[in-house]
Amino acid sequence: MKLGLPIIDDLIDVPSGKVITYYVDPEVEGDVFVMQTTHKNLEDGYKCCFVTTSMSPMTARNRFKEFGFNVDIENFSIADAYSGIVGDVSNERYFIRDPSNIDELSEVIERVIEENDLIAICSLSTMIDMCGEEILEKFKDWKSLATANESVIVSQFIAWPYEKRIIDTVKDLSNAIITIGGIHHRVILGQYYGLLKVDWTKVESRSVLFKLAKPGGIRAYIPKILVTGPYNAGKSTFVHAVSSKAISVDRLGTTVALDYGHVEYKGFSIDVFGTPGQERFDPILKVLGGEALGVILVVDSTKPETFTRAKELLEKTTKFGLPYVIAANKQDLPNALSPEEIRKRLNLPKDIPIIPTVANKGIGVYEVLDALIDLLTRWSYEY
Amino acid sequence: MLEFEGNVMVFGLPLIGKTVLARNIFLNKLKEGYGGIYITTNDTGEDVLEWFKDFNVDFKVIDCISKTIYPDAEDTDQIKRVASPIDLTGISVWTSRFIDSYFRTGKRDVIVLLDSLSTLLMYTNPQTVYRFLHVVTRRIKATKSKALYIVQKDMHDNRTITTLKQMFDGIIEVKEENDKKFLRFISPTYKTDWIEFTINKKTVVI
Repeated sequence: MKLGLPIIDDLIDVPSGKVITYYVDPEVEGDVFVMQTTHKNLEDGYKCCFVTTSMSPMTARNRFKEFGFNVDIENFSIADAYSGIVGDVSNERYFIRDPSNIDELSEVIERVIEENDLIAICSLSTMIDMCGEEILEKFKDWKSLATANESVIVSQFIAWPYEKRIIDTVKDLSNAIITIGGIHHRVILGQYYGLLKVDWTKVESRSVLFKLAKPGGIRAYIPKILVTGPYNAGKSTFVHAVSSKAISVDRLGTTVALDYGHVEYKGFSIDVFGTPGQERFDPILKVLGGEALGVILVVDSTKPETFTRAKELLEKTTKFGLPYVIAANKQDLPNALSPEEIRKRLNLPKDIPIIPTVANKGIGVYEVLDALIDLLTRWSYEY
Repeated sequence: MLEFEGNVMVFGLPLIGKTVLARNIFLNKLKEGYGGIYITTNDTGEDVLEWFKDFNVDFKVIDCISKTIYPDAEDTDQIKRVASPIDLTGISVWTSRFIDSYFRTGKRDVIVLLDSLSTLLMYTNPQTVYRFLHVVTRRIKATKSKALYIVQKDMHDNRTITTLKQMFDGIIEVKEENDKKFLRFISPTYKTDWIEFTINKKTVVI
């Protein structure tokens, strides 16, 4: 199974019998993760049950629809652990009349596990709030049953300030943990998700910025990438080649203000800004660099005499420690230097990616983007 | 009107005027230029906006009740609806988002009114509400915002009230004696005398 999350899906396949936990900052929306995973697996033909604990089944269906997730299909069902709390009846296939009754809740969940491929619990923390931490003992049984039944349990755990032993138990019960958090700086500047733990395979920790789109769901997000380089290196051509839509402000064929492009690529939504190469526009670099998360330096591989200027631009745009990659452009022209020769002349470390490109033919431009995305999503964090 | 910092509980018996008092404090801060976030667990978002209609003020509403009555109820620019009063995460998420949006537009003073904490305690056990408050009160302090939380007297056990009191920076206590209404403000460092007030339609007069 896949979780339906950009980047994470490239890293892991979820074998049957596993428990996956979305470990969510209480100030960040986590329901959508459980919903997106449910939707992905419905699309892949699996039988999925969404266990609703803090919203009515109709509200849950509306939430799926808001994100553009079609759940009006036979393989989808809801286990209603909400209506009983507010004294309503339920027409859902699975109904827990008293969600605070551990035995009744567990009995229904066990039936859900036996009859479905994916059990999406939204949320485990509400179950703990309703039933007490004893529900985690039952969760152990659910995990064993899921293993026997070759099902997968995905649950959302809101990281309220629970006692440490509860948090530790939830983490221990999880075969994989994906944290969903906010970048806090007085207010929340951005949201991210990241793979914290996987116990069935070895993978690198990753963290991905995201935004929510309605419809669309979770979109991995890189707020801004700068494309810089000397005059006539091919920056505008690069921005246009890589973007699904782009505009340039130019005069007599050279950029005098900036290029702007937008690209939807591999689940990422990326704004690309091309800077003018002429020195008189250098003050603009500071403004553009202020909010950028990464830099692509485009160099004309046939003009080593412009490399000093290229190095200068790189220093100006990356002085805040931004990650960068080099597009070795115009590789189709005679006398083009090889990427390794360019590395030597620019005196760049070995781990800086230098990708050969022919921007006017679109060759190599997405490989450059891949290399930068790889750098941007390879953050590590504490567990 | 009363000046206060941080997180303050508005505490008194039912039907004594707590909500009108809290709304007046909220309103005064809006008039001073504060950003406002009204969390309603009893009235719909539209009802809250209707109450403030004559005062020509702009603020945001987190509506915890409409979706329990009308599951199709949609959000507006001003009103965001969470699934139910049990959806504490939804309340927490929207409170943070609204504070963020005020900060991004340069508004650094924000007041939050939670009307009421007692309703949340009806739907969820106290420990869950304490955990929720721990997160929300921390956000209020971190952003140097102000927040009011309405709590009904005699509706919760003493232990719950004692624990709640410890989570706040102060209490506005409201009482009625001989058909007269009184309020006082208590904080660890400051305490007022009982002050008489009256309610003239929607306005509190001290």
